[in-house]
Amino acid sequence: MKIVFDQVDKKFGIVNALKDISFEIDQGEFVFITGNSGAGKSTLLKLILNQLKPSSGKILLGDVDLSLGNKDDINNTRRKIGVVFQDYQLISDKTIEENIALILDIVNYPKEKIQSRIDQVIKEVNLGTRRFLFPSQLAGGELQRAALARALAIEPEVILADEPTGNLDPENSWNLVKLLKEINQKNNTTIIMTTHNNDIVESMGKRVIKLKEGELV
Amino acid sequence: MNPLKTTWHHIRRSPFQSLIAAIVMVLSFFFISLFAIINSGLSSVLSYFETKPEITLFLKDGLDKTTVENIQKDLSSYQSIKEITFVSKEKALSIYKEQNKDNPLLTEMVTASILPASFEITVTNPQILEEIYQNYSTKTTVIDEIIYQKDIIQSLLDWTSATRKIGIAIILIISLISFLTIVTIIGMKITNRKDEIKISRLIGASNFYVKKPFLLEGIIYGIVGSTLGFLFSFLIALISQKSINSFFQPVVFIDLNINFYLILLVAEIFIGTFLGFFASWIGVKRYIKY
Repeated sequence: MKIVFDQVDKKFGIVNALKDISFEIDQGEFVFITGNSGAGKSTLLKLILNQLKPSSGKILLGDVDLSLGNKDDINNTRRKIGVVFQDYQLISDKTIEENIALILDIVNYPKEKIQSRIDQVIKEVNLGTRRFLFPSQLAGGELQRAALARALAIEPEVILADEPTGNLDPENSWNLVKLLKEINQKNNTTIIMTTHNNDIVESMGKRVIKLKEGELV
Repeated sequence: MNPLKTTWHHIRRSPFQSLIAAIVMVLSFFFISLFAIINSGLSSVLSYFETKPEITLFLKDGLDKTTVENIQKDLSSYQSIKEITFVSKEKALSIYKEQNKDNPLLTEMVTASILPASFEITVTNPQILEEIYQNYSTKTTVIDEIIYQKDIIQSLLDWTSATRKIGIAIILIISLISFLTIVTIIGMKITNRKDEIKISRLIGASNFYVKKPFLLEGIIYGIVGSTLGFLFSFLIALISQKSINSFFQPVVFIDLNINFYLILLVAEIFIGTFLGFFASWIGVKRYIKY
């Protein structure tokens, strides 16, 4: 799924969060979005997820023009995107396994294959027996992996990761990034990751979209 | 994920709210069932009196055969007479014994001589009843007493109509209360699960997918409420049947007719399902904006 931003502006009242943003991301790319706090990184991800609507300009996800606001198109597009939120956004009264089962159900994953798919992603992110615990019973690194497992479960075309290493120690941060790289190479999944961590960005040698005060640098 | 499983999860996570919703529904349908049973009993009482002779002339004791035949002839001369039945003292005794067969004390001391003979008259035009009543109430030498059913039926009709109106008003108020309770409780549950709804949407859940468990929850309250409400009222009818029927004797006030109760149950489940669905739909529409 190709992602196209065409002269996108996003305003919050008098604040211009994003100004005249244009770029294209091809299927299978690994892209970092960097910038200081308040530069507009999270706003950009929210626009891709259609959690926010652009004030002007056009956003295309594959053939779908999100700015047209068709609900079915938005839902169908969201079902092709795996999201790792900075604050995990796992449902607190469901176990990790149930959280993963929920997203599989939402995307109409074949019922008979749901359990084996859960087993597979749990193994992939190395959560083992933690699968039966509730989010409040897991540590930060485990929660981040659980969020990644949920994103991976639907075999997404795109993974949006919003500061996934923000709450992790260096070792866990590297493990997570390595895992994302593996997924990108193995499944040709587009990865769009926002981060402050310059070490990771530099060592990965991938494309970087840098934002400064809402503008592309 | 099975929507019923999700709904059950919602019910278990806020058991007291669910309990209130279910209790209010049970109460509503308990009163609806009770009203239906009472209404059916009142209809039985009415139809009993409606099928009885519309006017009964009790004769003085010791009248000779010719006098009785003359009275019958005179009655037959009125227009719009449907039927005239002569009930002799012996026939009156057998009717009395039949009506009190369960109470031998009442029948032991009674003989045919103390019961009056009578004419039971039914008409096709009720206006003639008044004329018969006026004419015979003056013939005190041959007529002992006149029972004019019009008064009884009219007063029964008034009572039945008032009972029905009050019953319907109570049912409407209770149904409105249960409707608003379900709307509020579903609204509270949606507010409690705001984050879950938001997350589900972000990962691609459709509008209907998010709303479905709440709609099902309303339907479950409706089905459980109507079934339990019916069962409680049926139980009360079953327990009190004997004493109530003996009070209304010879009318069968509580008739445990299986067809009646089956139709009542099916109708209540249908109404309960609709009420639960409609209330939760309003709640969902009000609290889940898309």
